Amino acid sequence: MSILEIWLGILQGFRVTALVTLYGLVFAIPFGLVFGVAQYMTTGPARFVVTSVIEFWRSSAVIILLFVFYYALPLAGLALSAMTVSAMVLGLNIGGYASQAVRAGLQALDRGQKEAGQALGLSRSTILLRIELPQALVAMSPTFINQLIQLVKATSLVSLVTLSDMTFRAKEISQIEYDPVPIYSSLLLAYFIVCYPVALFGRWVERRINPVREARCAV
Amino acid sequence: MQFDIAFALSTVPSILSAIGMTLLVAAVSCVGASAVGFGLELIRRSGGPGGLFVRFLIDFIRATPVLVWLYCLYFILPFYGIRLGALATGMIGLSLYYSGYLAEVFKAGIDAIPKGQAEAARALGLGRMDMTVFVIAPQMLRNIAAPMGNYFVSILKATPYLAVLAVPEMLGRAFDIASDTYRYAEPLTVAGLIFLGLALLISLAIKRLEIRLLGPTAR
Amino acid sequence: MIRTDSTLAVQITSLNKWYGAFHVLKEVNLTIPSGSRVVICGPSGSGKSTLIRCLNGLEAYQQGTVTLGTVRLGDNARETALARRQTGMVFQNFNLFPHLTVLSNCTLALRRVLGMPRAEAESLARHFLEKVRIPEQADKYPAQLSGGQQQRVAIARALCMNPRLMLFDEPTSALDPEMVKEVLDVMTGLAQEGMTMICVTHEMGFAREVADQIVFMDQGSIVEQASPMTFFSTPTHPRAQSFLHTLLH
Repeated sequence: MSILEIWLGILQGFRVTALVTLYGLVFAIPFGLVFGVAQYMTTGPARFVVTSVIEFWRSSAVIILLFVFYYALPLAGLALSAMTVSAMVLGLNIGGYASQAVRAGLQALDRGQKEAGQALGLSRSTILLRIELPQALVAMSPTFINQLIQLVKATSLVSLVTLSDMTFRAKEISQIEYDPVPIYSSLLLAYFIVCYPVALFGRWVERRINPVREARCAV
Repeated sequence: MQFDIAFALSTVPSILSAIGMTLLVAAVSCVGASAVGFGLELIRRSGGPGGLFVRFLIDFIRATPVLVWLYCLYFILPFYGIRLGALATGMIGLSLYYSGYLAEVFKAGIDAIPKGQAEAARALGLGRMDMTVFVIAPQMLRNIAAPMGNYFVSILKATPYLAVLAVPEMLGRAFDIASDTYRYAEPLTVAGLIFLGLALLISLAIKRLEIRLLGPTAR
Repeated sequence: MIRTDSTLAVQITSLNKWYGAFHVLKEVNLTIPSGSRVVICGPSGSGKSTLIRCLNGLEAYQQGTVTLGTVRLGDNARETALARRQTGMVFQNFNLFPHLTVLSNCTLALRRVLGMPRAEAESLARHFLEKVRIPEQADKYPAQLSGGQQQRVAIARALCMNPRLMLFDEPTSALDPEMVKEVLDVMTGLAQEGMTMICVTHEMGFAREVADQIVFMDQGSIVEQASPMTFFSTPTHPRAQSFLHTLLH
């Protein structure tokens, strides 16, 4: 099998890889935002509940979560497609990590920001949406970009629940023809080509943001 | 078919009996990843062509999925006549993969030490070796304790990936039960819960250790 | 108390240093007899910190010579290290070791560099902590101390090595105003005991009271060198005049 055929084969799986990533973000972004803010704003029992939900998604081994939901949800009468289950599990797992970044970003803000908003008579929600969140999200954006890369890489797991992503295609090809060296190194390279530009973008963003942080530390 | 709690409970002893394998894989991989990661970081800091290569290698590792690395090692090494068995291959894979992340942890840990520390040590007449052992290393350890602990937990949560190489750790054992009984949801859920408990327990232990390690010097 | 010991402590001859194309130190010549107290002042970026960092080898320079006592820095690695060991340095940001207690900060070099036994090192360290008036903080960590206390520990740490020359690089610039005095008091005490001191500082009150020589630097050169009396009453160089003017008003 020529290297070109291998690449064409792997590329056929790119659509699924991209779709799982995209649908995963549909779960990850709202979860990260809502639960990160909730953990920041709540106290007592409410905070315990929020933290428990986050920890469930974040601290579980994602490969097992995927299998559990893939096999157990039908028993609970929920017949979701493999695509939906994958996007949900991978998305909420990354969303759990993202929520910690959101909370940390909010907590790292200077208290004076909130107090200045209160002194101006702004409502709590206005302060959160217009003052705190914009600054926290910008400050944490390199972390979010990193988590996007983690999500793309985690999509390789969907090959284990019958979705034909890039990894699945590579395994398929290697079953047709035993030629692991070009097939698997092409697969590694394919993920690298997808993820590395994102990583470089993340570094660029980080450089853009960092001078601001340094100025804050020097005071 | 319904979720059978009695059956789920009956699988616990069998799955738990594989916890030793899970912990062995995790422990060896943590040590391996730390050692290789520290070596990589030292080479990267030394500059030159070796440093440039390591810089690229670390970037490459971080932009590719761990699952694909495991497949690569598992299928490519035997192709070149290197037969290590699934367990060794898996541990080498996890060590190599996470060394890329730990190298970054070491880098950040060293970079975060203010330049004045080395200057003060030199002004006091301390030699290079004494400076490294008594001034730089303890502070690096303090800086890396938290992120290193996080990656140790990540490595633990990555051990079930070895199930795809048929290593008999907890997820592997759960799948064995599943294929014997044709019931997937119960053993997988049990494995998932055990992993979640283990991850939370170890996170907590690491946090305790950190507090003791950092003690009153923590700001 | 004015000591008139004229043994040579430091001699700087034709010192030149560049950061890339930027000429930081231009033909600096300075002779500092042992026992003297020199204050180096000047606008920021004038090269004053760089100059005193050259005196203990923290900065490399491209041309000229620095002689400490009878040793020319850089001639012989062993002698250079020995000469450097007789120089104590106090930094703007203290640079205490955060992972060590106050006492261990003071004993580390005594034990590792001089090979002093633990008990002896600790009693010496306690002696100097007493001298900077914080013996009771010996077992705390730097982060538990105020800035003024941290800087006094840094002075004690440097004194432990029994230096013949003390370098102070803006020792009070990072301190809150109410802590400046406690550090200056310790420095004044040292001066009264006859310690040779070179201080980069903006504290003109201290300079007037303690220094026997003021060195004014601007754009990498020494443009004026005079006794405090002359410097503060009749500065000759226009840039020294405008510097004093902005400081006093």
